[in-house]
Amino acid sequence: MDSSSKEFAGHISQQFNNELSELKNHLLVMGGLVEQQVVDAVQAFVSLDSGFAEEVRGRDVDVDKLEVLIDEECVQVIAKRQPAAKDLRLVVSVAKMVNDLERIGDEAKKIAKIAVAMAEEGESPRGYVEVRHIGEHVAKMVRDALDCFARLDVEPALEIMKEDKVVDDEYKSATRALITFMMEDPRSISRILNVMWVLRALERVGDHAQNIAEHVIYMVKGEDVRHVPLDQVQNVIQKKN
Amino acid sequence: MVSTMQLTQQDEAMKETAAQKTASARRTHSIDISAIGSGSKNLRIENEEIAMCVNDLQLHYGEKRALHGINMQIPKKRVTAFIGPSGCGKSTLLRCFNRMNDLVDGCRIDGEVLIDDQNIYQRAVDVADLRRRVGMVFQKPNPFPKSIYENVAYGLRIQGINKKRVLDETVEWSLRSAALWDEVKDRLDDSALGLSGGQQQRLVIARTVAVKPEVLLLDEPASALDPLSTLKVEELIHELKDDYTIVIVTHNMQQAARVSDYTAFMYMGDLVEFGSTDDLFTNPQKTQTEDYITGRYG
Repeated sequence: MDSSSKEFAGHISQQFNNELSELKNHLLVMGGLVEQQVVDAVQAFVSLDSGFAEEVRGRDVDVDKLEVLIDEECVQVIAKRQPAAKDLRLVVSVAKMVNDLERIGDEAKKIAKIAVAMAEEGESPRGYVEVRHIGEHVAKMVRDALDCFARLDVEPALEIMKEDKVVDDEYKSATRALITFMMEDPRSISRILNVMWVLRALERVGDHAQNIAEHVIYMVKGEDVRHVPLDQVQNVIQKKN
Repeated sequence: MVSTMQLTQQDEAMKETAAQKTASARRTHSIDISAIGSGSKNLRIENEEIAMCVNDLQLHYGEKRALHGINMQIPKKRVTAFIGPSGCGKSTLLRCFNRMNDLVDGCRIDGEVLIDDQNIYQRAVDVADLRRRVGMVFQKPNPFPKSIYENVAYGLRIQGINKKRVLDETVEWSLRSAALWDEVKDRLDDSALGLSGGQQQRLVIARTVAVKPEVLLLDEPASALDPLSTLKVEELIHELKDDYTIVIVTHNMQQAARVSDYTAFMYMGDLVEFGSTDDLFTNPQKTQTEDYITGRYG
């Protein structure tokens, strides 16, 4: 983390350096928290531990607090420092990534909520393998996206964008499998639907991780790679700054 | 596709280990967010120690009323910036703090300025001593036509301090606090007029802090400097506020935003708005302030 913080140091104003590195650190703290939320929510769901699920739900307050705090910091830096070039891109990207992280937090909360409901309604006969698998996959994407941000490393950011396609496929095939099961055993539909919602939430987490990766590329390379085909993104990444 | 039966078995197996994992997951949550943020932020004047208190201060230049009853409190060991269009009275107000306006013909002052509960406009006040306690730096650097060393030592010499050791120490300390020492330490006996504008301005600040004032008044200290020297002076201001109460007048709103903790917006001799810089620049309470800081005024 230190090596990349230097990237935003070197201003004559030490205070400005501090503000930017604080901004960065706070986003990473929020990211760490959110990633843990996803992991724990999946864990609570799979283990049908409604007590743990409630605990995870409660922690979402922390995520929300950090969102407000970081947004406020971004506004202050813009108002007081008029950041330019990469400093400006850092602030703008952080403001957007905060949004994605908060949404990931919301998805985790949603999963925890379903886990609580499941404990009352009875467990699903199926789907835990998929939830576990996709859950681990997207949690890793979130972690990797934050690593990219910490190191300002765009190569793995592209990998994350590719990963999201894989997650989408996994989500689709898991959905198909569950639909098949529901057709075989209509009594289980309501319980399996819960699993479907969880999978859906996880798939959204993957999308947000991809967004974060895109913001990292914008931050480092200065080019917006949203809605751009992957091979063109590749070109952007190889472009020398 | 894998048969349903097989998958269900996997599910079962997983649920068994899941309970153990939950137990360990519970222990991993250790991020404490209460420690984060809002350290220096959320400044409130109510929570500050007060260095100077201005009560209903009115100032006339002849017939013209330049300040219309100003009431404000300058917080201790903070940077307070005065902003406002030309002729709004910000420099005039700043000069009131060390009685610089006494020298102006036809200037009449009513109201009081309290430092340590003493009105500096009382007859008994020794103006020379007041100006030692409340130092001032002007827009244009005004070093004396003497050596760098003598410029800084001047204030001490007129106080009757002539011991070489004391002078040497103070000169080095002052130049260090003005972030100038490294640039001039090898040529302390050279004329101060040979320094660049930015260096001269920092020298003048060193000269001012040499007599250990309580308050530093800066009247557009960076407006005659290039952008990098400006940033150096701003950084210096930021460092000096650990030890001094600083009041700065600036035309440059961005500068006020960068360096100050509190900002006062003045207009036509009135104090329109006074509050923490964070609030004033992101959410001013008065439309007049908002128009000025967003560049909609005049």
